[in-house]
Amino acid sequence: MRAQLLRYFSKELRKRKKKTALITFAITWGTLSILLLMSFGRGLSNSFRISFKGLGDNLIMVYRGQTSKDYHGLPKGRRIMIYPGDIALLSALIPEIELISPESNDYFTITGGGRETNRNVCGVGPAFGVMRSMIAESGGRFINEEDELAARRVAFIGWNMAENLFPAEIPIGKTIVISRVPFTVIGVMKRKLQSSSYQGFDADHAYIPHSTFSRIHTQLYIDRIHVQPKRREDNQLVERRIREILGRKYRFDPEDDYALGIWNTIEDAEVAGKAFKGIEIFLALIGGLTLLIGAVGVTNLMYALVKERTREIGIKMALGARRRHIILQFLLETVIIFSKGTFWGTAIAYAIVRLTRLVPISYELSGIQTYLLRPIFSLDILIVFVVVLGILVFLSGIFPAVRASRLNPVEALRYE
Amino acid sequence: MIEMENISKVYRMGEISLEALKEVSLRIEPAEFISIMGPSGSGKSTLLNIIGCLDTPTAGSYFLEEKNVAGLGFDQLSTIRNRKIGFVFQNFNLLPYATTYENIELPMLFNGRTGKKRRQRVLELLEMVGLVDWQHHRPSELSGGQQQRVAIARALANDPSLILADEPTGNLDSKTGEEIMGLFVELQKQGRTILMVTHDNNIAAYSQRTIRLLDGRVI
Repeated sequence: MRAQLLRYFSKELRKRKKKTALITFAITWGTLSILLLMSFGRGLSNSFRISFKGLGDNLIMVYRGQTSKDYHGLPKGRRIMIYPGDIALLSALIPEIELISPESNDYFTITGGGRETNRNVCGVGPAFGVMRSMIAESGGRFINEEDELAARRVAFIGWNMAENLFPAEIPIGKTIVISRVPFTVIGVMKRKLQSSSYQGFDADHAYIPHSTFSRIHTQLYIDRIHVQPKRREDNQLVERRIREILGRKYRFDPEDDYALGIWNTIEDAEVAGKAFKGIEIFLALIGGLTLLIGAVGVTNLMYALVKERTREIGIKMALGARRRHIILQFLLETVIIFSKGTFWGTAIAYAIVRLTRLVPISYELSGIQTYLLRPIFSLDILIVFVVVLGILVFLSGIFPAVRASRLNPVEALRYE
Repeated sequence: MIEMENISKVYRMGEISLEALKEVSLRIEPAEFISIMGPSGSGKSTLLNIIGCLDTPTAGSYFLEEKNVAGLGFDQLSTIRNRKIGFVFQNFNLLPYATTYENIELPMLFNGRTGKKRRQRVLELLEMVGLVDWQHHRPSELSGGQQQRVAIARALANDPSLILADEPTGNLDSKTGEEIMGLFVELQKQGRTILMVTHDNNIAAYSQRTIRLLDGRVI
């Protein structure tokens, strides 16, 4: 019997479609705007996160420096250099280190494919590629142990350099000449998002074995050491140990922050991660407030609908409707309107997210579209949203419904 | 059928209270056709509402078919209205969005009557009021007389023993009004009790007995 009554009520609602269109539209619009807000917000922070890892994942970089404190009778202002031998020393003394690689670089004239360019050439160890999220395009590879040991003349190049020198050819196997020494291209870097850098972006560089670099470039020291700890949590410990060990070797105060330059990207990433989380929370807050305003609006519209139907409620009461029948009808209408609104809102939001993701993006850093055009539509956002909205709509539906059921039938029948 | 003893109804609006009915006592036998007459404000509608269980008296006792109605709750009164009473209004009071068929069907849904029996009963009633061809039309597409016939069919849906009509011909021309009264006479012959409020002596003439009200009292 309940089912038949529900069918009757929903049939009635279908006939009153025009009257409820406004509420349905309001819920559709609210669902759409909040889901888009959250999807684009999450996409934004996700793109940030990916591009942050573009420089490298879990990376600590150590630079040469200059002392700023007196130490054991030695004056401040001494330049502290680092040398290839430090690599073996650090990896032997700090068991928390997973990967370590030297890096030295300079600008060279590079010719290849009949073209010439002046670019940064970096001498690096085999672990460098992994640490800096460099993946070779298929058919190529990064520098390996043998290259390093034999000081082979091989080069791994960024995608921009590859396009500049070999716009119409596959660069792998081709020869490029760096500082009058010929190198064989063994790999091209796959495109990646990168938000932070030093001395230009990886896309423009050429990478060669560090041992080879030392032979074409007369420099005894190295420019940078890249270190990746085994566990992220150990980043502070590893940083401190590096200062202690090199401090003992080169005689500087481990507390002297200027003796060595250390860029701890793990720490940066954690700070940035908190900022991203903050943005998401902020967006959720905006979404929540919007929802609340929406719920007030829906309650108002429901009240108006009930008022408009006062006489109809009186008629139904005269025909034998109980209080619960009246409540049931209004709740059913609320549920149907809510379902319709959230369904269409979700469907449209999903379609917009999918379509936006189809837009191709450039991997050049500056493009804002890189960050904006990758929204993420996630199920957890949708579920939280639907539950919260459901509760709000239910509350905004129950009050008018109860009020309707409390009407005095005589007065309701007299209502014009 | 109906036994009322010293029924009073007082409306309170802030400081002012209005006595709409003053110790009204009534006895109505089954299958009587009664008209209630009186000037505006004499308490006709209030009396009809109390008899129809839409309103409750302030004092007095009311037995409907030997059942004490005074003191029943809203839902119990709803059940009585649904099963024992059929209402016919001056302005028809049909649901504007529902078709003729759906309007007639509604009281049976509150009563939980099953699909097959319900359909059969609606068709029977459509036949009786001569609106089989109009069953899929909405009230706005029907004439006043047709709408009132839909309302009568609806009032009969659960086969009630009591029909209450508040100026059923008030919005109709006299010829249509006579047709409607013909239907009421028909209903009385079926053994139903009919109470009808009217201003019109020609309409009251269809009834067997007239109760006259003045200032909340039966005269």
